[in-house]
Amino acid sequence: MPIRKTIYNDFQGSSSPRRKRRGVQPGDFQDPLSDYSPPQFDDDLEQDLAELTIADMDAWPPLVVAPTDSIENAIKRMREDDFGCVLVIDSENKLVGIFSERDVLNKIAGHFEATRKLPVSVVMTHNPVVIYDSDPPAKALNMMAIGSFRHLAVLDADDKPIGILGPRRVNAFLQKYFS
Amino acid sequence: MGLHEHILTDPVIEMELRELIPCRPDQTVATAVDTMKLSRLGCVVVIDDAGKPIGKFTERHLMKIIDQPKTLDDPLEKHMTPCQSIVNQNEPVQKLIDIMRDRDSRFVCVVDDAGKAVALTGAKGVLEYVTEHFPRVVKVQMMQGKLFFDQREGA
Repeated sequence: MPIRKTIYNDFQGSSSPRRKRRGVQPGDFQDPLSDYSPPQFDDDLEQDLAELTIADMDAWPPLVVAPTDSIENAIKRMREDDFGCVLVIDSENKLVGIFSERDVLNKIAGHFEATRKLPVSVVMTHNPVVIYDSDPPAKALNMMAIGSFRHLAVLDADDKPIGILGPRRVNAFLQKYFS
Repeated sequence: MGLHEHILTDPVIEMELRELIPCRPDQTVATAVDTMKLSRLGCVVVIDDAGKPIGKFTERHLMKIIDQPKTLDDPLEKHMTPCQSIVNQNEPVQKLIDIMRDRDSRFVCVVDDAGKAVALTGAKGVLEYVTEHFPRVVKVQMMQGKLFFDQREGA
């Protein structure tokens, strides 16, 4: 009760914003965006990096395996499809990891016989960095050039993996601005 | 001056280049693998006695022989491929980009005027170069953002 009373008193008070608004006439309307100045870009590439989306970069469709698939099978898939990584997804099509050439170099080389039958979930990178298809290309550049992530899993708004973005794909996107 | 003009005029040596870890052709694959692990590089460049690049061995090469453990004891020259992606350090960045496109190569060996291998660059180097030109749109991006917050902010 005391709270309700306080609100009522505020509404009745002469300093209430609602009361002030009553005095505004239709002709007095001012567009809140009237003084908005859009960002200025020095270069077409700079503008596209900020305003296009990852969907415009034509990421490769992902190569996927299950967490229970063997390391040997994952490597075989990567070799057959000439991919630098595979996305590891669970039964609900959620991304749980990524297994890349770098994992093969760091964890498998010299231990292939001992590890080939193990599930890929043992050596994959858990909870990898991701990028959404609605993100700007500038974000991919940030994650690759500054964050040093070579492969980015591309997700849609439902967190479903829909692509893989690697440095070659990003370079291909940039090519048209270079010539 | 826009990015395009910079690419045409900036020499490759002005880019952020990777330190090149040279290997000899008679060194074993296992040695190259250890070198790549230690230096956190995806490629070693094989050089001759004069220091000129004659081959390269990358993670992609390793993928092809990973299921043949005995190959780790083979000399590198048996599994390397000729190093054809080479750019002079004084040539413009555009030349580097052309080489990567024409040879579909991720790594490019940088050489001096005498042809000696001095550094390594490639796809990541080009991305870093572009990033440095557009810091106000690239460096402000959140590294690991989500479309939606898991929990409401505030009280």
